Amino acid sequence: MEPVASQTRSESVVAETSSRPAETSPAPPVRTERRRKPRTWETPPAPVPPPHLDDYKNIVGAAEIDELHFLARELKGKTVKMVNSTAVGGGVAEMLNQMVPLLNEVEVNTHWDVITGGNDFFEVTKAFHNALQGGEYNLTQHARDIFLMNNEQNRQRIQFNEDFIVIHDPQPAPLIRARQESHQRWIWRCHIDLSSPNSEVWAFLRPFVEKYDAAIFSSQSFARQLPLPQYLFYPCIDPLSEKNKDIDDSFVQQVCDEFGIDRSRPIVTQVSRFDRAKDPVGVVQAFKQARKYVDFQLVMAGGGATDDPEGVAVLKEVREAAGDDRDIIILDLPPWCALEINALQRASTIIVQKSVKEGFGLTVTEALWKGKPTIAGAVGGIPNQIIHKLTGALVHSVDGCAYQMRYLLTHPDFARQLGQNGREHVKENFLMTTNVRRWLLLLRILQSEAN
Amino acid sequence: MTSSAMAPTPLHMPVKAFYFNTSAHLLSITREKASTLSEFLQALRVCPEGSIFQHTFRTLQEHHFIREGFSNDFAHWALSACNEPGLAEGLASVDVREFTSVAQLRERFVQIVEGFLKRTPAAVNRAAKETFYFCASDIMVIPTSFVAHTLQEFAEGLRGVSLHSIHHHFIEARLRLKLMSNDFSQWLYEDLGLTDAARQLNRIDIYTVTMEDVRKQIVRIVERALS
Repeated sequence: MEPVASQTRSESVVAETSSRPAETSPAPPVRTERRRKPRTWETPPAPVPPPHLDDYKNIVGAAEIDELHFLARELKGKTVKMVNSTAVGGGVAEMLNQMVPLLNEVEVNTHWDVITGGNDFFEVTKAFHNALQGGEYNLTQHARDIFLMNNEQNRQRIQFNEDFIVIHDPQPAPLIRARQESHQRWIWRCHIDLSSPNSEVWAFLRPFVEKYDAAIFSSQSFARQLPLPQYLFYPCIDPLSEKNKDIDDSFVQQVCDEFGIDRSRPIVTQVSRFDRAKDPVGVVQAFKQARKYVDFQLVMAGGGATDDPEGVAVLKEVREAAGDDRDIIILDLPPWCALEINALQRASTIIVQKSVKEGFGLTVTEALWKGKPTIAGAVGGIPNQIIHKLTGALVHSVDGCAYQMRYLLTHPDFARQLGQNGREHVKENFLMTTNVRRWLLLLRILQSEAN
Repeated sequence: MTSSAMAPTPLHMPVKAFYFNTSAHLLSITREKASTLSEFLQALRVCPEGSIFQHTFRTLQEHHFIREGFSNDFAHWALSACNEPGLAEGLASVDVREFTSVAQLRERFVQIVEGFLKRTPAAVNRAAKETFYFCASDIMVIPTSFVAHTLQEFAEGLRGVSLHSIHHHFIEARLRLKLMSNDFSQWLYEDLGLTDAARQLNRIDIYTVTMEDVRKQIVRIVERALS
């Protein structure tokens, strides 16, 4: 596959910067000509084969991998079925693509099934998804019927003979009605924020959830009071994926050249969809405040603006906020540019994730893993990752974000220490291997209860 | 050291082999949560012992890479969410190694918070910036492939095992042993008669270095005993 020049997805702002206070800003550096049409892949690259556990030894250490094998010994021959609502796209499918082969590798026989349904079913489940995360919704009898009928069809289609059945998210939650064997253990893995759900939808779903043996949430604050054990599994990243693996610096340089980013000057980057929850306009405002005191570039790398009407509007707002400042580089990238995102993160001096609403914030995890000093909004799962002044900087406002940009850019030793701590924090808590460990532990605990 | 009985003669062949184990922890979410210091105090009193363990012993392991500024989750919340540096200092000063039971440890934290709230009544019901969610740890002990039949093999095991294993034997052990000691010191003393090395291990400050530094210090002490 040849790289091609994208006509519409990427562009850099090339106008000269606006005026700066002469008494505080350093002399303007020499600017390089920026490409208006950097190369990006127009189609997704071929999928990479999933890694083996031994591939992680160089990252987490051989002892950690040995421990996984020891942990799995008592589960040898046990069977697990994972069920979710999509085979491709989205974080859950991505995680299952990586997790299922790793569980099989330690001889916990794991199978993955995907529920099916018509457009009407997935329209209902999408509405449920939004409502459970706090959105307004009027739950009709028709929506209930569609939801239950499709789940019933899936219950009849899928065999549930395994020792452990793991149902991911609300869409297939009623499949618990297939439970027959008393030794079976059913687990509900909820990936969404249930901290303030639409009461009608939650009241409808709750009776199904209560029939499970255990529930798993991604954050303490996402959980509900339920009469079953609830566990905390942080989302994780794969250090060997395209987005996180080590890459050659020459590729980082190539990407920066393509996008017109000057590596001789500090770079502050936010990688996020163009979504108001990520406050991209706030990041631009923070940049403009901080740049009065210190010279740097801002890279806003995102995507989703082509197929999402709100994304288009937000991207327009970001461009308007940026004005003609040539030190603000706005990149609208297709979703398969994982390697380019990896390169942009590695090229960055500081990474920002100034969200005002967030799930877990895996872009923060990615930044920390790359050892980057990270500034992020204190929302959702971000405070689980960033301990203020120890593994990064938490902010609550544009002013706070601007101050941290200035501070970290002018205190590189402190920034470096934050980056190092952040990487270790991810290594200990938010890597794929840690999640394999959590799954094996949970299965063993539930197995001991079943016996 | 746990006994005043005469120690065995120092030999580099132990009476018993040392089996390196490790513990795996699964984090569960409990019912207790606190949005004020009075709620926090109440939850401290009634939360499961696994919660006290999680937010003190276990969190130390989760943040083993931090050299300073992090002691336990309670202290961190008192500072970052309640903006009470005095209380945070008191909570942070609790050294888990001075306790051989979680009940004693809980009592110490309760005393500190009670004392603070008596002295600072205005803080009792002030809303915290963030809720504290009490979690708990389910623990499973699992073997490793490392066994030491000699002091040399012990040093090799120390270098090879995971930091989870170091934490299991060196820090969590006192809850299991109910002694102001750790598995490594116990073995060096009881099975090899290496009293000085055992004592030196017990003096390593776990709050001012990373867990990897702790490992290095343990290895250095054992290597000195070997030479």
